[in-house]
Amino acid sequence: MKILEVSKLTKSFGGVTAVNDMNFSVNSGEIIAVIGPNGAGKTTLFNLITCIYPPTSGSILFKQKEIRGLTADQIAHLGISRTFQNLQIFNNMSVLENVMVGRHTKSKTGLLGAIFPLPAVQREEEAIVQSSLEKLALVGLADKALEAASNLPYGEQKMLEIARAVAMEPELLLLDEPAAGLNPTETRDLVEIIYKLRDQGITILLVEHDMETVMEIADRIVVLNFGNKLAEGTPYEIQNNREVIAAYLGEEGLSC
Amino acid sequence: MQDLTRRKRFRHLFILLFTILIFALPLVLNNNYYLSVLVIIGIHSIVVIGLCLLMGYAGQISLGHAGFYGLGAYTSGIITSTYHTSPWVAMLVGAIGTGIVAYTIGIPIFKLKEHYLALATLGLGLIIHIIFVEEVALTGGPSGLTRPIPYLSIGGLELSNDFKYYYLVWLITLLAVIIANNVVHSRVGRALRSIHGSEFAARSLGVDIGKFKLRVFTLSAIYASIAGSLYAHYITFISPSPFGLMTSIQFVVMAVVGGLSSIWGPVFGVAGITVLTEALKTVVPQLIPEAGGEYEIVVYGTILVVIMIFLPEGLISGLANLYEGWRHRKGQADENS
Ligand SMILES: Nc1ncnc2c1ncn2[C@@H]1O[C@H](COP(=O)(O)OP(=O)(O)O)[C@@H](O)[C@H]1O
Ligand SMILES: [Mg+2]
Repeated sequence: MKILEVSKLTKSFGGVTAVNDMNFSVNSGEIIAVIGPNGAGKTTLFNLITCIYPPTSGSILFKQKEIRGLTADQIAHLGISRTFQNLQIFNNMSVLENVMVGRHTKSKTGLLGAIFPLPAVQREEEAIVQSSLEKLALVGLADKALEAASNLPYGEQKMLEIARAVAMEPELLLLDEPAAGLNPTETRDLVEIIYKLRDQGITILLVEHDMETVMEIADRIVVLNFGNKLAEGTPYEIQNNREVIAAYLGEEGLSC
Repeated sequence: MQDLTRRKRFRHLFILLFTILIFALPLVLNNNYYLSVLVIIGIHSIVVIGLCLLMGYAGQISLGHAGFYGLGAYTSGIITSTYHTSPWVAMLVGAIGTGIVAYTIGIPIFKLKEHYLALATLGLGLIIHIIFVEEVALTGGPSGLTRPIPYLSIGGLELSNDFKYYYLVWLITLLAVIIANNVVHSRVGRALRSIHGSEFAARSLGVDIGKFKLRVFTLSAIYASIAGSLYAHYITFISPSPFGLMTSIQFVVMAVVGGLSSIWGPVFGVAGITVLTEALKTVVPQLIPEAGGEYEIVVYGTILVVIMIFLPEGLISGLANLYEGWRHRKGQADENS
């Protein structure tokens, strides 16, 4: 089943066309990698899928439903979650609280409930803590739950963003360069976590520059260049695609 | 999560200690002038606690809170003096009415550009103040409400002196602190703080930013309204002058001095500014006999600028942080020697 269908998607910022007439789709349960040089439009694509800004034209269907015109928070309620290329940790909160915000869509205490925390509200709060701790355990941060999020080293902050994003139990998870800045051990851990998430039934779309990782985990790869889709296929197909090699290695790479 | 319950216990212990202090104070401080200052500090604290929720947790500034404060005071004053209804009912009517006013003006503001809130509330505050002055038939105009406003009473006990009123006001202040504390440590409070941390991330996690800001704005207006009702039944006479722009600015200064992201800061901020204002009232006329009331704005402005530059987290957290930093450096120096 197709969980995400992008068709004829275009986004221009003034004179710059960051995403140009793009078509691709994601099947439920897949791990899809989006690759391409810096400025190719990968992050813009993610921002369009999560309705950070509207497309100039084209459509995005999530579970056969057009998401154009929705707001970023409504997208979360539909079941799409993401991490950010430039970390967006809540530095004013503890590690645990960061993940607890991730439970926002799965809980419902409002202002009145917050003012008068009756037993039902307290039970919900306890459930939020429990499931948040589980997500922290998944990324190996359970013992840092009460530390200030801003005190974590970079690699752990990236893991925290993943824990926070999966806390809402999304159907589709977008990871924007999750391995960037990680050391080899952390990258291994990341790969294991991504597999675990896939096994839990989460469909994953990720942007990544680390080719070794991409070739290992992706079921399919979408290659972007200057806002255009250059190629799409299995890791094997992409590795042997002349256009992709040209874009990555320049004309010299092609000629020898 | 043992650590988590320990933190919660610590918070509750702090509230308990504060309660004991508050309730013991009048017993040792049997002086009517001091008591009356403390009552006013309590009433202003309620407004500023609400304002701190708005400023510290929703990142919004209101320059019209004296207007909401006045709406509470006038609703209570007019209803009880004209229709002789119970002051408690009048207080409730004022709170609901003010909440509706805040919510209604908040809807378009939070949909459009949120930083217009400061301007919009400034305008609203001015309009409310003009109504107090101009609607003579209803409000008594510039000279105030001439009909007597009754004292509050609880089950036949009339709270007609400072001593009794002190306990009522501080009980409600304490309630305001507890409620604010509950809100901050709830799903709603986390959502609000997450907006402060990263709007992008908050939205991508499903937080409807406008909705939460609007609600906390409304709550803070209701706080101000209740404080206004308490003021009306304490002074038992109201005129427009305490509900103007100057008071709104004073509330903002108190909030900033106390520190925006702390639940206890407001009380200290209010106490500090109130004591300073009282002191200036006696000192300034002696030094500069021809000085008008305008010196207050100079003092508040100066305090605001100094705090923003040197102690952006407010006086209390700011000083605590300075102390921490000093201890840290001292520790390092000791290690090196
Ligand atoms: N908000 C924006 N405003 C203007 N230009 C933007 C904006 N976001 C991205 N761009 C431009 O769009 C192009 C694609 O950027 P981006 O999607 O971040 O690339 P990638 O993530 O593939 O490195 C770049 O030329 C970038 O400068
Ligand atoms: Mg990018």
